[in-house]
Amino acid sequence: MARNEDTMADGESNAGTDERLITTDVTAGLDEESTATTDSSRTVIDARNVDFYYDDVQALDDVSLSIPEGEVTAMIGPSGCGKSTFLRCINRMNDLIDIARFEGELRLRGKDVYDDDVDPVALRRRVGMVFQEPNPFPKSIYDNVAYGRRIQGMDENMDEAVEQALRRAALWDEVSDQLDKSGLDLSGGQQQRLCIARAIAVDPEVILMDEPASALDPIATSKIEDLIEELATEYTVVIVTHNMQQAARISDKTAVFLTGGELVEFGDTDRIFQDPDSDRVEDYITGKFG
Amino acid sequence: MATGTERQGTDRAAFGGVSRLRGVVFRYVTFAASLFGILSLAVLLGYVFWDAFGLETAAPAWYATMVVTVVLPVAGFLLYARRNPLAGRTALELAATATGGVLSGFALVVVLEVIAGPGLWFAYFLAMGVPLGALYLYGRRVEASWTGLAVLGVLVAGPVVGTALLGPLSRIGGFLGGPGVYYLSVIAPTALVARHVVDEYLDGPNGNYVALATLVAPILAAPAIDTVAVLSRSVWLLFFPTLVVPFSIVAGRNLATPGRRVGVAGPLAFALGVGLLAVVPDLLGVAGPSPWFDWQYVTSAPSQTAEQAGLYPAIIGSIFMIVLVALLTLVLGVGAALYLEEYAPSSGPAGAVTQFIRINISNLAGVPSVVYGILGLAVFANTLQFGFGTVATAAFTLSLLILPIVIISAREAIRSVPDSLREASYGMGATRWQTIKNVIMPRAIPGILTGTILALGRAIGETAPLIMIGVATTKFSPPSGLFGKMTAMPMQVFTWSSYPSEAFQHGVVAAGVVTLLVVLLTMNSVAILLRNEFERGDY
Ligand SMILES: Nc1ncnc2c1ncn2[C@@H]1O[C@H](COP(=O)(O)OP(=O)(O)OP(=O)(O)O)[C@@H](O)[C@H]1O
Ligand SMILES: [Mg+2]
Repeated sequence: MARNEDTMADGESNAGTDERLITTDVTAGLDEESTATTDSSRTVIDARNVDFYYDDVQALDDVSLSIPEGEVTAMIGPSGCGKSTFLRCINRMNDLIDIARFEGELRLRGKDVYDDDVDPVALRRRVGMVFQEPNPFPKSIYDNVAYGRRIQGMDENMDEAVEQALRRAALWDEVSDQLDKSGLDLSGGQQQRLCIARAIAVDPEVILMDEPASALDPIATSKIEDLIEELATEYTVVIVTHNMQQAARISDKTAVFLTGGELVEFGDTDRIFQDPDSDRVEDYITGKFG
Repeated sequence: MATGTERQGTDRAAFGGVSRLRGVVFRYVTFAASLFGILSLAVLLGYVFWDAFGLETAAPAWYATMVVTVVLPVAGFLLYARRNPLAGRTALELAATATGGVLSGFALVVVLEVIAGPGLWFAYFLAMGVPLGALYLYGRRVEASWTGLAVLGVLVAGPVVGTALLGPLSRIGGFLGGPGVYYLSVIAPTALVARHVVDEYLDGPNGNYVALATLVAPILAAPAIDTVAVLSRSVWLLFFPTLVVPFSIVAGRNLATPGRRVGVAGPLAFALGVGLLAVVPDLLGVAGPSPWFDWQYVTSAPSQTAEQAGLYPAIIGSIFMIVLVALLTLVLGVGAALYLEEYAPSSGPAGAVTQFIRINISNLAGVPSVVYGILGLAVFANTLQFGFGTVATAAFTLSLLILPIVIISAREAIRSVPDSLREASYGMGATRWQTIKNVIMPRAIPGILTGTILALGRAIGETAPLIMIGVATTKFSPPSGLFGKMTAMPMQVFTWSSYPSEAFQHGVVAAGVVTLLVVLLTMNSVAILLRNEFERGDY
């Protein structure tokens, strides 16, 4: 609940710009409902019977899961099984795709994010995202990290905020003397860390990461993994990964999707990796799948 | 070892070589095609320039003098610049700044002093320029999200306010007088820009001193300017920011860098050479060329005698018209393209309508220009009562004509912004407007400007739609205002081409073509400069 009050305070301190007002409204709505369901207050994201279609191709099939607060939840599964799709449902990025259709319920702190009165822009300010491909803006490193804060009207202490975000993304040491350089001039791995810095600079409640380490070498990967574990003390982190060891190392909960967008198993990471209920999951984890 | 030699043997047999005959033939065909295009254009331009500058009257001795004073020094410098590229770049920079300064100075004088007049210009400067500048400065500092909306508001409300308060506002301008108006509205902003440029991009002088110099120098120089007959104080104040300030900054920086100093020799030799060429043949009594394209030609009205004929009213009319066309098509074209790409639904029944509109805009781009002439006649001249052959009717008609081209190229530019950037922005919680302003437009502007350059080039050379809407073929004074009658350069040139006299057909017409080309190139270079500015910046 402490986290909730933080968000309220954030919302209010930034009220004053037109777009921020909407955020405050929605935040208020979400908080009301979450107090009503105190028994499940540890659950941040609660998906119930989610079906998802691209036109008539079904990408998610009756997915239900509860993502707990302040923990790392990993999503694993073979390519094309709908991990990214599920992640993008949470912050309604799929709204941008014309042919996409969502069915079911997806609650963030008790409030269905697909309700008519939820503003997806306000939602995305609370749920940050790091994409599968690094996609820095063709702007300077500084402006990339400052982007989210600027558009949200969080203009105070910009320099410190940028430095802190870059430090936490394990990028500061490499770029501290060239913040004016274009973000596109960085290496692929540095770009991905820049995108992580950009996402955490605005202090979201939930951070969605779509294979953040796929372009990184082992050293940068372990830095990112440390970062994720550190982030989980304050934020809720949902991460998609193809790397079993990584999922086992950093996550508290694991969701295993298999082909057809079906959630086969969801539970504590230790149990899933040591003693999965389903044979298909065991086959997938041990590499016999497919 | 045995297998090794065996493999070598088979490899040699397999490496027979691949036929490239078709590729080579294709390459030379494409080369020939390019060469043909370039050569025909060169012949045409050479012919026109020969006539326009009256080069056939020049005596061989004049050409000899030219070779000695201009060609040889410049060629020598070019040879030297091949070995010292830095000097070459310096010379190019100086030459480009000088040429660009002169041309844009003329453009500014025509638009502000001749077409708008100080009073009118000052009214709109107060209503739009001042608020926009203030918002820009404020937005740079704080990046508040409301500045974008406020800019939009000023863009809409500014013209309305300016028009409503035109009387009192232009009286202020009248009270200040031309030089006062230009000092406040042109020199003062230039000082700010110069300070920013010097502080941001040059590490030599302090920007504040440069700004101060920019403010003081034009006043100090005023008494000297008053002694020059052709320069009024207003003209001086308009050439100051376009020519004097940039040239001083560029020249100063180049002179301050040791490796670049030699580069100044090139332009200096050229200027000296041209000066000598103007004086020496006269002293020796050698006949020079008698150009049709000269100061008298661009400043006087048409006439029945070829020697006194000038293109002035048509130049002003064309520039007036093209400035309006550029404003209209940029606002409407980019707006429409943004709507079609970023806002319009692309699925469902509404999506079908969008698709229909998209396809038909492409069709409109191919409609013959006379058809737009008829449309302009019916809609703007008759229904909306803009008048026959007026600047407003012509500008709106030509805007309609090139709008499809601008929309198509702007859409193409907007579509080429990768979706991953849009997602990154939306994923950060940006609204659509914020995404368009911060991510899409900065990336799309270079492409949009490229398309606009092509389209404006087409508009300024059009005659058919102008004939349809009743634009005069010859006028003896420039348009008196937005609803004043006008003529355009291609119209006037076309009229002269049907005069029976040899002097008109070969001299005056050629000079008109050269004028048209100069205006066109000025327009394009402004757009190209803007485009490079956006391409360079890491927006
Ligand atoms: N924009 C789209 N339009 C149509 N179909 C899509 C779109 N995006 C994804 N799909 C389909 O939805 C299914 C799930 O895709 P998704 O991207 O969620 O897979 P994923 O689990 O993230 O795979 P990967 O591990 O390879 O990233 C795939 O079959 C894919 O073809
Ligand atoms: Mg994916």
